[in-house]
Amino acid sequence: MKQTEQMITIYQEKLRSVLETFWHNGSSQGNGHLPAASSIDNSDPDSPNNGRNIDLSLAGLMGEGAQQQHENARDHPQRSAQERWEAPATAAQTEHDGPTYYDRPVVKEPVWIWTVPLYFYVGGAAGAAAVLGAVANWFGGKQLRGLVTRCRWLAAIGANLGALLLIADLGRPERFLNMLRVFRPTSPMSVGSWVLAASGGSMTVNALIGHRRYWRKSIGRLTAVLNTVLGMGLAGYTGVLLANSVVPLWRAARQSLPVLFVGSGIASAAALLELMTLNAAEARVVRYFGLVGRTAELVTAAVVEQEAGQVERVATPLRAGRSGELWKISKYIGIVGLALALWPGRSRKKRTAAALCTTASSLLLRYALMSAGKASARDPQATFQQQRRQTSRSEAKDTDHHEQ
Amino acid sequence: MGAKGFFTDTTICIGCKACEVACKEWNQLPDDGFFFSGMSYDNTLDLGASTWRHVEFIERPVALSGQETGLGNFSWLLMSDVCKHCNDAGCLDACPTGSLIRTEFESVYVQPDICNGCGYCITACPFGVIDRRDDDGRAWKCTLCYDRLKDDMEPACAKACPTKSIHFGELDNLREMAKGRVVELQEAGVEEAYLYGADAAEQPGTEGLNAFFLLVDKPEVYNLPPEPVAPRKQVKQSWLALAAAGVAMTIVAVGAVLSGVQQS
Repeated sequence: MKQTEQMITIYQEKLRSVLETFWHNGSSQGNGHLPAASSIDNSDPDSPNNGRNIDLSLAGLMGEGAQQQHENARDHPQRSAQERWEAPATAAQTEHDGPTYYDRPVVKEPVWIWTVPLYFYVGGAAGAAAVLGAVANWFGGKQLRGLVTRCRWLAAIGANLGALLLIADLGRPERFLNMLRVFRPTSPMSVGSWVLAASGGSMTVNALIGHRRYWRKSIGRLTAVLNTVLGMGLAGYTGVLLANSVVPLWRAARQSLPVLFVGSGIASAAALLELMTLNAAEARVVRYFGLVGRTAELVTAAVVEQEAGQVERVATPLRAGRSGELWKISKYIGIVGLALALWPGRSRKKRTAAALCTTASSLLLRYALMSAGKASARDPQATFQQQRRQTSRSEAKDTDHHEQ
Repeated sequence: MGAKGFFTDTTICIGCKACEVACKEWNQLPDDGFFFSGMSYDNTLDLGASTWRHVEFIERPVALSGQETGLGNFSWLLMSDVCKHCNDAGCLDACPTGSLIRTEFESVYVQPDICNGCGYCITACPFGVIDRRDDDGRAWKCTLCYDRLKDDMEPACAKACPTKSIHFGELDNLREMAKGRVVELQEAGVEEAYLYGADAAEQPGTEGLNAFFLLVDKPEVYNLPPEPVAPRKQVKQSWLALAAAGVAMTIVAVGAVLSGVQQS
């Protein structure tokens, strides 16, 4: 046993020296394909190239996948093959379900982390605040000056914070600027990146100099118009982004998701404003805005559930499991928030309680949708049954057509 | 340069996994860890960032028609799965960085030096092919051996396939060959044989696959979606809903401001 270990050590030393010679020769010939000397050490289990089992004294790393970084699975308990295997399908298979391949998912589960649903919330609130701020500035007069300022700053902070949250989710955050490399109208992510980038600029400028006079006034006016248009997009494009996917739940709710996100954005912005000091007129404006938002959020959430429920299996994650719990809690807290907002009386405490309920509800709503989407992607039957239903419907239409 | 692709005839696949190995070796992909899944001989499970060919092992409690074996009510279905390089590719339309491109061979290619790992292509692939490796941070998938095609060589998997289950070539030729093969099989009594994703008429959601298959059972059995659709095809109504909701929000804001101010 000891002898073997000694032999391995000797072999490793030899390999190291061979590699070093190879590297020096290679670099003197200007071979750009070779990685840095420190990363081609195959004897080191933590080396990024380990796991390829390539003898680098015989082969260079030039394949299409050679740049793929690979950390040692032992030290990095990420989604290894075993974990993917153990990840369960959402709902147990029943006898009536059609065949699957060992219950393995058909589509991949989205890889987005917790910052993404948080961004959905922040972006939604920022978009709605931007619109309210611009509108209050145009039609509100002096009474609403304080509200305008608060809305402008809410929008500016939200748009910039939102960008940071999204960058944090990227697999290669240092390449975030590649988002603005092309404009692809077919991709809601591309459209959204441009909207978010423009919002960050316009909303920040508007917050900084929107209230100034002289030559800055025209910039203030221009950015106010921009904020209105961008705010509409920012509040709800994330709904389109989710709808434009193969995740069965999001795909099923593709008509109602953008509306839900806009409604929830209005509610979130109003709730944040309710936590601030407002004069009587401002409080009324925010109250009306918030009442519509809260109602819209609750109603469209029910529509989402109904749209998804057209295929039982697709809506299962909204009714069961962790995502179902989140969804239910969000709904109940949302109802409490709406009830408190409707309750007569102008007490500050009541307003704060309503605002906190609605904020929690809107946040949970996003997390529930993300978590339920992931669960529906894991369930092969959700994908199969959704697509089979479409086929049978279009076939039914065809036969109707023939009969006519 | 015409469109190139794969025709994978699953009826002559013997499940040797030579394609999987050839793919890993040629492309120098890292391993995924070694373990036994307990799902027949399939210890790879699915296509992913570092698995660009995946052989499925289906132990079917149904006999294949036209076949008499000592197995009784049993038949093996084996299939080497791969990126389909769809004509209407969901991943390509979703990519916000322009990292995903269509090459001169009509294949869909990820440029690793541009991808920033946003993960949107992963939610847009109807076949669950493309994936992101957490420790790498970027999305990866089959390149149709772009480097080999550039040198007039066939992809490593097709080269390694010992039974010619994986055919590589000009798509027009492949389609003709595949249709002939279906006829041949049906004449031999394998009535279930059909082509999956051979052209736009057969699979309008993807407008045809540049890597299509000959199957003998429902797509679900092979973990293939029965009616895959590129998400972009259905997203127009979402944009319209957003436009309506956005305008409604502005009207609500105007209403709230006017009525809030009027009362005082």
